[in-house]
Amino acid sequence: MTQTAQSPIVDAHAPEGGEKIIEIEGLNKWFGDFHVLKDIGMSVNRGEVVVVIGPSGSGKSTLIRCINRLEEHQQGAIVVDGTRLTDDVRNIDLIRRETGMVFQQFNLFPHLTVMENITLAPIRVRKWKKSKAEERAMYFLEKVGIPEQAQKYPGQLSGGQQQRVAIARALTMEPKVMLFDEPTSALDPEVIGEVLEVMVTLAKEGMTMVVVTHEMGFAREVGDRVIFMDAGQIVEVGTPEHFFQNPQEERTRSFLSKIL
Amino acid sequence: MQMIPSRPPPPGVTGARAWVGRNLFYGPVNTAVSLLVGTLLVYTIVQLAGWIFTGASWQPVWNNMKLLAVYRYPADLLWRPIVAVGVLLMLIGLSAGLGKRAGRGIIAAGVYWWFSSFAFLLTILAVAFWPSVRVPWLVTTVLALAGFQAGYRLPRLVRVQTWLWAVGLPTVAILVYGLGGHGPMELVRTVEWGGFLLTVVLAGFGIVVSFPLGIALALGRRSDLPAIKYFCIAVIELIRGAPLITWLFIASLMVPLLLNVSPDAIPAISRALVAVTLFSSAYMAENVRGGLQSVPRGQGEAARALGLSGWQMTRLIVLPQALRAVIPAIVGQAIGLFKDTSLVFIVGLFDFFEIGRRVIPSQPESLLYPGGVLLEISLFMAVIYWFFAYRMSIASRQLETELGVGER
Repeated sequence: MTQTAQSPIVDAHAPEGGEKIIEIEGLNKWFGDFHVLKDIGMSVNRGEVVVVIGPSGSGKSTLIRCINRLEEHQQGAIVVDGTRLTDDVRNIDLIRRETGMVFQQFNLFPHLTVMENITLAPIRVRKWKKSKAEERAMYFLEKVGIPEQAQKYPGQLSGGQQQRVAIARALTMEPKVMLFDEPTSALDPEVIGEVLEVMVTLAKEGMTMVVVTHEMGFAREVGDRVIFMDAGQIVEVGTPEHFFQNPQEERTRSFLSKIL
Repeated sequence: MQMIPSRPPPPGVTGARAWVGRNLFYGPVNTAVSLLVGTLLVYTIVQLAGWIFTGASWQPVWNNMKLLAVYRYPADLLWRPIVAVGVLLMLIGLSAGLGKRAGRGIIAAGVYWWFSSFAFLLTILAVAFWPSVRVPWLVTTVLALAGFQAGYRLPRLVRVQTWLWAVGLPTVAILVYGLGGHGPMELVRTVEWGGFLLTVVLAGFGIVVSFPLGIALALGRRSDLPAIKYFCIAVIELIRGAPLITWLFIASLMVPLLLNVSPDAIPAISRALVAVTLFSSAYMAENVRGGLQSVPRGQGEAARALGLSGWQMTRLIVLPQALRAVIPAIVGQAIGLFKDTSLVFIVGLFDFFEIGRRVIPSQPESLLYPGGVLLEISLFMAVIYWFFAYRMSIASRQLETELGVGER
């Protein structure tokens, strides 16, 4: 890790020796005149859990939404599992197939049952047989602890259950990377735990994860590295221990003092 | 704390009598208004009933039933549209029977019974009064009943249901239009069509074709490609900017001009169909667009994040939610179109309304009645229009309930 107080560009690359699954170099993005991502350079190793924190509006959600092209970037390179993200639709589709995403608002399809929500993409995109897709769906529903809800509609479930379905939906596609965009921010406090529990299990099983969150407990327990972003830049990178005991940057300290 | 035991409500708080007292005779002004409105209502009903049962001349309506139904469709071929009705009811009955067996599908069943009852009534009338169409109407009744029974008793037919519809609908069209040559299946050219048959053809075609066309225009309007987007906006806004009657005129004059043929080369019905369908499509497009806007952005993002293609996202995720949000508007549009077909007289077509408005009152027999027979015919037509439009309205509500299952 190299950090210099003078330079705004902080290198957030993964430790050497690992197999890099996400690589981002010189990433810049604007929303109109607003420079939302500034010279982002980072990478993620296979099996790593990277937690991205920062104040709202710092660009952390935009950053992970760039990784599967829900947002288009204007400068720089993003390579996911060896596929370079370009305007080529085939590359975009390839990357989306290998990255699962969990959203703040769950975004389950309200007109489909839980089972149909989960099996839709495996059947349509992976071209699995319905029987195989349903079998895998049940496996992951059991994993997130709600196999008995398979035939219900999302509207009949609690927020925590919906988010667990969303996680199962992403996992059933057997992605190589999971992106979490503030997965617990829209949940009632009493159900946050059940979702975090699923994520912790997933992390411990070796899933590669990039997690945008405000849950510092999660970062501390399973995070391999924490990235702190502010105003579109990566300000500081480190292990959770480094972060919570000995943050170097003034902005990091100020942010942590507000939320801890 | 001491609990007060519950007591019955004081007298005059609940019940019909109390309701009347509270809502109709509450204070002097309220009472006066109630009495006035009540008197007017009773007076109107008594007058109307008196006119319907003693004053009105229903003979011309009764005598011209064939004109109202099919206009100049050859009398010796009348069995064809009648049996076509039977085939249609058989198909609906089949779906209704299958649905009932599977314990769902109240919509098909409702539509089936509503229109079957109408067909049964006509069959009874035919048996009693219209010897020339007695057999076809009996055949139609048998077809209608057989369809439902087949669906209910043979659940395995569900596998061929789509095929039966795919074969049945062209059969209906062939029955009405004919195949050619001389004999039972000779062509009945569209200039001979009219009356309720024409109204149903115009409305049915317009509704069925404008639905996909409207969806295409709505999707086009949201396209990222400027050429498609602005083309769709132009089409929608242009068509919505002028009344249907204008478009009927334009279609009538412009279509032959654009195709560089004489106006007689294209049947008036085709020109009317083009106008009615395009007109309806523009409104349908705006209804659908409203639905598309109601689908949250996250739905599309989730679909894309899972790797679905743009077309799969639209077809499987966005459209189903968009359409169900605007069912009332779409059905409202269909009902409107059904009634708006009464404007096609402007291009020389004799639809149900035109027969009643112009053809029957000018029959020599009708001229014998002092004061004419327009009022009687109008009332009759209003009842028929209502019978069909109201059924669509019921279906819309049922559709909402059925599709709303499991939604927030």
